[in-house]
Amino acid sequence: MLELISHFWALVPVTIAQSLILSFVVLAIMIPFRILGFPDLTSEGAYPLGGAICAMALMAGLPAWSALLVAMAAGFLAGCATAFIHLRFRIHSLLAGILVMTMLYSVNLRLLGKSNQPVFNLRTIFSFLIDHGLSDIGAKIMVAGAIAVLAFLLLRLYFLTEKGTAMRAVGANPDMAEANGINVWTMTVGGVGLAGSFSALSGAIMVQSQGFADVNMGFGILINGLAALMIGEAVVGKQTVVRQLLAPFVGTLIYYQLISVCLVAGLPPGDLKLATGLFVLAMLAAPSLRGRGAPMARDTMRD
Amino acid sequence: MLEVQNARRVFFPGQPDEKIALDGLDLKLASGDFAVVIGSNGAGKSTLLNAISGALRLDSGKVFINGRDVTAIPVHRRAVHVARVFQDPMKGTAATMTVAENMLLAELRHNPARLRRGLTKARRAFYAEQLSYLHLGMENRLDTVVSTLSGGQRQSLSLVMAVTGTPDILLLDEHTAALDPRTADLVMDATIRAVTALKLTTLMVTHNMKHAVDYGNRVVMLDSGRVRFELAGDEKKNATVAGLVSHFAVKTDRMLLGA
Repeated sequence: MLELISHFWALVPVTIAQSLILSFVVLAIMIPFRILGFPDLTSEGAYPLGGAICAMALMAGLPAWSALLVAMAAGFLAGCATAFIHLRFRIHSLLAGILVMTMLYSVNLRLLGKSNQPVFNLRTIFSFLIDHGLSDIGAKIMVAGAIAVLAFLLLRLYFLTEKGTAMRAVGANPDMAEANGINVWTMTVGGVGLAGSFSALSGAIMVQSQGFADVNMGFGILINGLAALMIGEAVVGKQTVVRQLLAPFVGTLIYYQLISVCLVAGLPPGDLKLATGLFVLAMLAAPSLRGRGAPMARDTMRD
Repeated sequence: MLEVQNARRVFFPGQPDEKIALDGLDLKLASGDFAVVIGSNGAGKSTLLNAISGALRLDSGKVFINGRDVTAIPVHRRAVHVARVFQDPMKGTAATMTVAENMLLAELRHNPARLRRGLTKARRAFYAEQLSYLHLGMENRLDTVVSTLSGGQRQSLSLVMAVTGTPDILLLDEHTAALDPRTADLVMDATIRAVTALKLTTLMVTHNMKHAVDYGNRVVMLDSGRVRFELAGDEKKNATVAGLVSHFAVKTDRMLLGA
């Protein structure tokens, strides 16, 4: 037992670094889902897209920070594409997301040219701090943490503005938003695009952190992110904008520590997806179970 | 000033369930007119309101507001001119947002959203003052989430939101029909006060003939997508519930309710 605990303890810093990097995907899942009322799957494709673009940019000799920005721009376009497909062709947002995510797989493979592209020995956003004596993990926590704090503060500021309030209204009641002069199209495209850019940012930082881009790096990221979001919302709540914005970050930190516990305790990594899926199901089902027991089939039909 | 010219809209054209909702409808309201629109179900009342707000495209015909042709202008850009209160209190407000945030959204109708702070102190004070006219104590509940308000409170909020910024046209779509009688009276009372004080050009749809007799300076009766008759001036002042009901082919209890 003691051995397990010390084993887990040794992994805590690595896990924190990992969760800070992945918290942007969770943010990218939260924004369309909770703020725009637009359940979206694009992140599963935008995350590796960000990774691929970042790897290509680094290979081409772009500075590490610029590579992040280029990746974010690509992610923004991916998000916009999903929103546009949904709005223009009236295709369900989930299906639009699946379409974009599937097509992005080919795009990512094209970009990388092979399924795995190493980017070792190039200067990354962490290099500066490592040069100044910080450990590898320490630098990752500092840099990813700083970006996370910046993203949180900027988003908080944005949602206090008129535009931010208008964007929330689109999620709360699109007809009412439209009747109050808000352009639902621009807000949805912009909001889902914003989310896409955060997914891509996450993938880009991850590539710089792990030293390679892989076309399959996004596999399962969505369900992990959803689980993290559920945990975050259970812990900090979602009643106010600040809480809703904090939930992805807190949730990700807790979620990956839990995963780490499971792995240290000897759960086969292959079983993690089943465990995560069951967990998300339980969290989503909780309100209907708590409320009135399982609804009767006929009740459901009458709705 | 509102003018609807030869408005035509057919639903499901060429199909067995084809429905002519508007059949060459003409309507003209002068500035400050308060017209009550009556007519049986399917007469085209809601379609008319949707055509004016922009929520529905016309097959042919035109809509003018203040002399400007707005027929091709989408809802969100027509919102500068047109405000609307729906029958369903849920429709006119954003449930998961606070009272103050909803008031801010209403302000954005005539003042497009920008990247500047939304709920300032000055705005909150202004919203509190606007809400205090309702005498419902809502000025003390600025930070209450709208979903926790009662139907009457939500509808009163919708009304205040609709009249902020003095819209050119106010559309009231059976806005008291879903409320209990006492609350309906309160909301109707607030409506009349606002419309009178701000001299709003108003189009109110109702099934309640007493409302048609008591309020407004004009009555417009729709039938099969056209204006069947209009009353104005002394004719409107002398209108009676029985007189109005006699124009309906099918009479329902709802028309007489409260008469």
